[in-house]
Amino acid sequence: MDAVNLFKLASTQAKWLSLRQTTVANNIANANSPNYRSVDVEPFEAAVSNESVRLAATNATHFGAKDGDFFQVVEEQSSKLTTSGKPVSMEDELVKSSEIRHAFELNTAIVSAFHQMVLMTAKGS
Amino acid sequence: MDYLGSAIKVAASGLDAENARLRVVSENIANAQSTSKIPGGDPYQRKMVSFASELDRSSGTTEVKVDSIVRDTSNFELRYDPSHPAADESGFVKLPNVNLLVEMADMRDANRSYEANLQVLKQARDLISMTIDLMRAR
Amino acid sequence: MAMNLTIGAVSSIKSSGASQAAGAASTAGQATGMSFADALQNAASSTVGELRNAEQVSAQALQGKADIRDVTDAVMNAQQNLQAAIAIRDKIVTAFLEISRMQI
Repeated sequence: MDAVNLFKLASTQAKWLSLRQTTVANNIANANSPNYRSVDVEPFEAAVSNESVRLAATNATHFGAKDGDFFQVVEEQSSKLTTSGKPVSMEDELVKSSEIRHAFELNTAIVSAFHQMVLMTAKGS
Repeated sequence: MDYLGSAIKVAASGLDAENARLRVVSENIANAQSTSKIPGGDPYQRKMVSFASELDRSSGTTEVKVDSIVRDTSNFELRYDPSHPAADESGFVKLPNVNLLVEMADMRDANRSYEANLQVLKQARDLISMTIDLMRAR
Repeated sequence: MAMNLTIGAVSSIKSSGASQAAGAASTAGQATGMSFADALQNAASSTVGELRNAEQVSAQALQGKADIRDVTDAVMNAQQNLQAAIAIRDKIVTAFLEISRMQI
C-alpha cells in the first residue's frame, strides 16, 4: 500500500466522510418521519478494497464522483430496539457524528503536514 | 458533489420542521382550556403536525418537511358545569382534547430533535472550514 | 506523486550538492574522523527513510489501522529531519558559492 499516493487516499477518505455526514444528517432530520428507515455508508475499508466484492445490495444507492469513486449507502438492518421506538437512534447518530469529526480532523492534519513538507522542500533559500 | 453543503440543507430542513412542530405544541398548550363561546359548541381542537421525507437521489439528501397540520379527532372531555357559558342543555361543557402531559413530552422531544439538527449543521460547517483552512498558508 | 517530489529533492542533496561541496571540504578538513561528505550522506538518507515511514503510517491511519500517537510521532520526526536536511542543503549552497567566489 505504500506506493499509493497519500494525498489521493486522504481525498477519497474526506469524500467518504462527507457522504457519511450527509447520511447522519438525513437520519437525524427524519427521526420523526413516518416510513423512514435509517441509512449509513458502507465501511471505508470495503470501499477502497481492490476486490470487487461489492455486490448490489438491496435498497443500496450509489453515490459518487465522476472519476469512478463510488460509495454505497444502505439501509441499516438494525435489530436492536431503540428506546423511543423510532427508526432512528439519536445516540448512535451522535456517536457516528463524533467519529466523523475525529477522522476528518486527523485527515486534514495529515494532509496539512505533508503539504507543508512539500512546500518546504520546494522553497528556495 | 458537495456532500457537506447537502448535509447543511438537510439539517436546515430538520430545524424548520421541528420548529413548526414546536409552534403547534405551544398553540395546543396555550389553548388547553379554551372552550367555545356558544352553548354546546365545540372547544379548541388539538392540532398535530405530520412530517414527510423528500428523497433526492442525485444529491443523496432526504430532506424533511411538514406535510400537513391535522386535527386530532379524539373525543372532547366533558365536564359538568351548568353555569358555564358553553354548557349545553344537560349542563355539560366540552373541553379541548389537549393533555398537557402529552404536550410537554412532545415539546421535550421536539427540542431534542431541534438541538440534534443544529449540531449536525454546526459540524458540517466546521468540516467545510477545516477543508478551506488547508489552503491557507501556515 | 507529491511525496516523490520531496523524496527526490532530499536525495539530490546526497548526489549533486554533496559531491561538489564535500570535495572542497574534504581536502580542507582531513583531520576530522568522519568526513563531511559522510555526515551529509547520513543526514540525507535518514530523512528519506523517515519520510517513507511517515507516509506509510499516515496511509494506515487514514484507513483506521494505526494508533494516532504513532502517526503524530512519525510525522513530527519526518518534519524535523526534513527541516534539518533542508538547512544543511542551504548551508552547502551558500558555502559553495562563497568558496567559488574566493580569489585564487
